[in-house]
Amino acid sequence: MPRAGPRPEAPTAGLPVAVDAMGGDNAPGAIVAGARRAVEELGVPVVLVGPPELVGDTGGIEVIPASEVIAMDDDPGSSVRRKKDSSLVRAAEAVRDGRALAMVSAGNTGAAMASALLRMGRLKGVVRPAIATPIPQLGAHPIVLLDAGANAECTEAMLVQFAQMGAAYASARYGVTEPTVALLSIGEEKSKGTPLVKEVHALLEQTPGLRFVGNVEGRDLLHAPADVVVTDGFTGNVALKTLEGSLRFFMDTILEVFSADEEAKAAAEVMLPRLAPLAAEFDPDGIGGAMLLGVDGVCVISHGSSGERAIVSAVGVAHDVATAGLVDRLARAVATS
Amino acid sequence: MPAETHVEKGPIERHEVFELVRDQLADILEIEPGAISESSSFAEDLDADSLALIELVEALEEELGERTVGFRIEDEDLEDLRTVRDAVDYVVAKLGAG
Repeated sequence: MPRAGPRPEAPTAGLPVAVDAMGGDNAPGAIVAGARRAVEELGVPVVLVGPPELVGDTGGIEVIPASEVIAMDDDPGSSVRRKKDSSLVRAAEAVRDGRALAMVSAGNTGAAMASALLRMGRLKGVVRPAIATPIPQLGAHPIVLLDAGANAECTEAMLVQFAQMGAAYASARYGVTEPTVALLSIGEEKSKGTPLVKEVHALLEQTPGLRFVGNVEGRDLLHAPADVVVTDGFTGNVALKTLEGSLRFFMDTILEVFSADEEAKAAAEVMLPRLAPLAAEFDPDGIGGAMLLGVDGVCVISHGSSGERAIVSAVGVAHDVATAGLVDRLARAVATS
Repeated sequence: MPAETHVEKGPIERHEVFELVRDQLADILEIEPGAISESSSFAEDLDADSLALIELVEALEEELGERTVGFRIEDEDLEDLRTVRDAVDYVVAKLGAG
């Protein structure tokens, strides 16, 4: 995928993106292949992290050795403490130590978060980090949904910070000058929602520097009237998985209908080429993964079934937001609270 | 406690352990140290989740490791630490201080 337009230069330019070679269902094969493609297609330097004997042929990409692997079902906190020489922990340390610009992992989400948090540290002022996930929009840049699962229970202060960090991320990621922020609820009126949602609504209305546009509902997520949608991690994860499942079901059903009989197959020949570009816009592999916001470094978490293309996208996003000064933007955003 | 454990500096008093736990916790949770007492429950009073507790454990190991080589809080003991007092008692017992 060619890189479009010039990228802003930062003092860290030239540093590689550290890719956890052992993270995900398709590791290390697809991860290494994706890293190689990222170097070739994006021109972004990459370093792989993992056991060299398992990583295999890297095509000349340097490998930071790590002898252990955190499994997808390992407990996040204890595995990071127990497996100090794991690929995930070493990737986070590479960012902390200034040997890498950012890290990418398709592995255990909780462990990726714990590794980043414990090794890179929290940004000063951040109560808890959040996972920001892009939600595709037809004909527009994706919106940012956060928290997508890092914090099942949230306080008012956390949700206000998520709004600030989400806005800073939308600026760094999509170049939105003054991002609009909405709150996920069960009605547009400020009187709708849980006590927490109502309280946060009132706080967001008064938060300086934030363009709060009110509540949105779950049905708005694919056609959102805001650049950022804020919610707690439990609701955000349920919303995200509901969307993913619905879209997958919808796509499968369309394909089933198009193969039902000869007449439908003829119709498919006409319609599928027109539908394919739309489907591509919703392909998670092209979006670049979720971003952990609030740690002192860039950490992209790609989905567990990531293939080569997903890793290429994730490396590109990691590089772009790091060179766009995401961490500094986040630090400034929470400092205003 | 590992065999190589030994005291590098003077013995640490119980109130010093409390202050260390309180200050580290305040930093992690972004709250005022004065909001934390020995009777504070991590989950119910302080809204500290499991990752916050692991941050606390790592911070304590780093701080106390400089004083006592090999100081470590065992992961399996973490679930027994429900209040600040539990954590202080645990650390004091591990250090053999009083």
